[in-house]
Amino acid sequence: MSGAEFDPLALEVMAHAFAAIAEEMGAVLVRGALSPNIRERRDSSAALFDVEGRMIAQAAHIPVHLGAMPEAVSAVRACRPRPRDVFLLNDPYHGGSHLPDLTLVEAIAIEGRPAGFGAVRAHHADVGGMSPGSMPQGATELVQEGLVLPPVRLVREGILDEEMLALVVANVRTPDERRGDLRAQLAACAAGVAGLRALLAREGAARVAAAGEALLDYTERRARAAIAQIGERRGRAQDALEGDGVSDDPVTIAIEASVRDGKLHFDFTGTAPQVRGNVNCPLAVTRAAAAFVLRTLLDDDVPTNDGIARALVIEAPEGSAVNARWPAAVAAGNVEMSQRIADTMFAALADAGLEVPAQGQGTMNNITFGGAGWTFYETLGGGQGASARGDGPDAVHVGMSDTRNTPIEALEWAYPLRIDEYAVRRGTGGAGHRRGGDGVLRRYRVLEPCTLTLLTERRKHGPAGAMGGASGAVGRNRLNDRELPAKCRVELKSGDVVTIETPGGGGWGAPSSA
Amino acid sequence: MTGRSVGIDVGGTYTDLASIDAEGRVEARKVLSTPADQSGGVVAALDALGAAPASLERVVHGTTIATNMLLERTGARVILCATEGAVDLLDLRRQQRAALYDLARQHPAPLVPPDLRVSVPERVEPQGETRALSPEDADAAAKRALALKPEIIAVALLHSYLDPRHEEAVEKAVHASNKSMDVVRSSVVLPEVREYERTATTVAEAYLRPGVARYLARLGEQLAARGAPPLAVLTSSGGMRTGPDAATSAAALALSGPAGGVVGAAYVARLAGFSDALTIDIGGTSADAGLILEGEPIIESGGAVAGVPIALPRVLVETVSAGGGSLGWVDDGGALRVGPRSAGAVPGPAAFGRGGIEATVTDAHVVLGNVRHARMSGGVTLDVAAAQVAVARLGERLGADPERTARAMIASADAAMARALRRVSVERGADPRRSVLVAFGGGGPLHGCALAEHLGMRTVLVPPFAGVLSALGLAIAAERRESLASVMRRLSELDPGDTRRLAHSLSGRPDAKYTHRWWARARYEGQGHELEIPFEPGDTGAEIVARFAEMHDRRYGFTLAREVEVISARHAASGAARSATLARHGQAAWGAAMEDTGAQLDVVVRGRAIISLPDATLLVADGWTARSLPIGGWLVERDE
Repeated sequence: MSGAEFDPLALEVMAHAFAAIAEEMGAVLVRGALSPNIRERRDSSAALFDVEGRMIAQAAHIPVHLGAMPEAVSAVRACRPRPRDVFLLNDPYHGGSHLPDLTLVEAIAIEGRPAGFGAVRAHHADVGGMSPGSMPQGATELVQEGLVLPPVRLVREGILDEEMLALVVANVRTPDERRGDLRAQLAACAAGVAGLRALLAREGAARVAAAGEALLDYTERRARAAIAQIGERRGRAQDALEGDGVSDDPVTIAIEASVRDGKLHFDFTGTAPQVRGNVNCPLAVTRAAAAFVLRTLLDDDVPTNDGIARALVIEAPEGSAVNARWPAAVAAGNVEMSQRIADTMFAALADAGLEVPAQGQGTMNNITFGGAGWTFYETLGGGQGASARGDGPDAVHVGMSDTRNTPIEALEWAYPLRIDEYAVRRGTGGAGHRRGGDGVLRRYRVLEPCTLTLLTERRKHGPAGAMGGASGAVGRNRLNDRELPAKCRVELKSGDVVTIETPGGGGWGAPSSA
Repeated sequence: MTGRSVGIDVGGTYTDLASIDAEGRVEARKVLSTPADQSGGVVAALDALGAAPASLERVVHGTTIATNMLLERTGARVILCATEGAVDLLDLRRQQRAALYDLARQHPAPLVPPDLRVSVPERVEPQGETRALSPEDADAAAKRALALKPEIIAVALLHSYLDPRHEEAVEKAVHASNKSMDVVRSSVVLPEVREYERTATTVAEAYLRPGVARYLARLGEQLAARGAPPLAVLTSSGGMRTGPDAATSAAALALSGPAGGVVGAAYVARLAGFSDALTIDIGGTSADAGLILEGEPIIESGGAVAGVPIALPRVLVETVSAGGGSLGWVDDGGALRVGPRSAGAVPGPAAFGRGGIEATVTDAHVVLGNVRHARMSGGVTLDVAAAQVAVARLGERLGADPERTARAMIASADAAMARALRRVSVERGADPRRSVLVAFGGGGPLHGCALAEHLGMRTVLVPPFAGVLSALGLAIAAERRESLASVMRRLSELDPGDTRRLAHSLSGRPDAKYTHRWWARARYEGQGHELEIPFEPGDTGAEIVARFAEMHDRRYGFTLAREVEVISARHAASGAARSATLARHGQAAWGAAMEDTGAQLDVVVRGRAIISLPDATLLVADGWTARSLPIGGWLVERDE
């Protein structure tokens, strides 16, 4: 039975079945993981692949993982996996995204026969390298950012390689937590195997294979149907990151978006070559941004699988900042470059005449405080762009992130930090017929000396409005009364007050004169 | 117990009643709901029972009044007093967006808009008070709040679970100006760390309290006029509370309805000899999946209703938009889909003849002959031809005959419900294969076998009174009082004296009329969510740590060499549950029509077969065998 012959009446049943397996893998991971970043902020995802390495279902909690794992499975397939091998990788140039994202890929075998792959990715709180948290500011080569793992067997035909595990955890600052999180990832892979085994037992191998095929075709059809409604068109946009962490020179992203042959094309010709600092990203992250942008044009119920990627064509010059080559550093590419790629794609679609929302805050506002024996990392929401459908939401994560905040009370119990103010920055959304969402103000007071690392964007140019709407307000970083740069590392003394103000979203349409 | 205990559950379409008389016998009634004022249906159900008011000992109500007020945003005008610098918590939420991919979607507006908030110049930090609240400043804040013309005032200050004095000072200042103004303090409603959830829950309580009180008073008067006893309600955590108490715990009623079903399911499961169960309650527009472990419904803190987080204990229920009224349709990818849109009560399924013309899951069952008898509640007569037309029209668009279309529709609904059942169980470390599936609600017994097959389960329990089990849960529910206190200490530091003091601070002097239970809400240091570990006064911290480790291992598959911290402790005092003598009564012929009226019966039915139940239909699938139970209802098991 091939996918083409699969009964359209049974497709939803199988879509639920595949999605349930991915969802269960994700639930086992989140519930079992140790570090708050996976457990609470859910910086993780899980996916199920068929024997040919095509992604059939994914449970993604944040968009930057969306559709970014097929590269991982394809890197593993190149290593000729044996049944029940589980590979570990994080190398951005061999299937990874940035080093903190440790990805496990299991070659699933049912009754000795290859049946597909399970993949589980999670952002670990530390993978070694030059600074705690492995999100260094100022790194210029990949090896400075942490331990680099090309696909290696962590489990060989069902047996855990203790030596490999020992090697990995010997290279990180928090070995016990890494062991715990990796154990949760292995448990998530096992949940995928169990789920697939049960599905095969119930439905039979031929039917499951045909259903997977049919589901990819179906998702592609839904994506293409949405694209067909847009009609053939073309638009361009250019934007830039405000420095790479080493210099303040802008890093240009240029995109031509076009809709033709029933597909959505993004061409990055004209984008800056890879830079010295670590805002570069591998192609997998660029693809994730494209998948996110397309996803926003589709109905919520379209399944998340490789069918979405089939409706996308990406041309990104090799060696550019959006398709970096070894040994470029990439830690911040995942968090900030991914945002700007998505922003610029939307801008190019707007130039093509599509009604997309105005730009949101376009940054994750990465903030790290580190003192003697402790590190605290968080990201802050801001304004979302307004759209034809209404004002932009205030004070939310936009684009490629959607992690939760840290409660003030929990933070004050755990760290020598106090929050003197946490508020909506009223009036910072761009004016317009529809108003952009407002940014956020968060004021930290430190109780003991520590180091502050900021990795922020949109501190010079506010998120653009659309259709005549005004830009949102730029973000600001301050230490006491002094302005701080967008990306910096500063030593703080007891009693210092750090104020982070995040950008507002762009407005939509000319403001009414009334 | 001398009198009747009556449970009345209000749903979107029907208001269900179950009555347990002095001998423990159960009777059921079903009347149409009266959505404009749901008390109409409650009174009508009681009238339909026709019991002498003097014979009623208690009337327990499962109400959607709080839920509806949140959905329709028809609650009180609340003024919120919050710590200076943190008055925007309701807008900031947890900074996640409303939908991952729909960038324009807004969260529902907060219950208190920014211009109805008052900032209070004060601060408590983990180490204690760092900015005192002067009487003058408290008075000024109170006057500003009162000037905004509140119906009720909510006070939620940072770290007030540690030190409630500033909240108390604001309340005192309000009462100095206006003695009758009701003030809701966060240190009373939810004395637990995490400011957003505590503030949102406190505001929800204030928002709901006046409306809930009015409704309960009005209904109470109507019942009193008939000579019935004072009204009680079921809280989200499955406990019964009497009128005045209920009116001051309004937010605890937000999930009152679904809780009754799980309480009823747990009761029947225990009677039938099962301790671990998954439950599925299938109604007209949605299905509720629940979990029972060791004979008790799982109770967890948290959850949101209509976008409003309410972090109070609640019976775990996951709702999916799949029910008898879910509509079948064909999407732009050419696939058959079922739900989430529903035909609701009106126009309802085509087969109900109330103007529905689109095919629903119920219509699919009618086409397949799974639902055939015309004896439906509320005066509905089954229109088989209309169901066939509706399903055939949908099938034409897929090139499929009505029968195949109908089967596929049911399979789709099953898949969505099975996914919800997997979520509630697997996420809590429960293995569905070692549990029984309790299938109830109007549609549960139709889908039980198929859902069990999806989940690898071998046993389905169809309880007696399956169509009104939620009402039965209300009728048997025990009275329950709950309290919570902040702790914020390492478990290893607690000695028997500490746990005794902690327990007694929650329960007061334990009243022997009630069963007392205490839980520590604990986590490994650094974790962000808690497990609830039972403890007794006099336990050592080490004993509680051992229990914590055991539960952590069972749920998540590992333990850690790390300190365990208690963020809060919870207490529940429960009265005796009413017991029902579930039994088959009377004689009736058992014939080819296979109609189970609740009369005495001892039969084995091999699938595939269709057994008519009062207000529900049991579909015994091929490969399954059903045995009638002496307590009523059926046990359906997969053949070896």
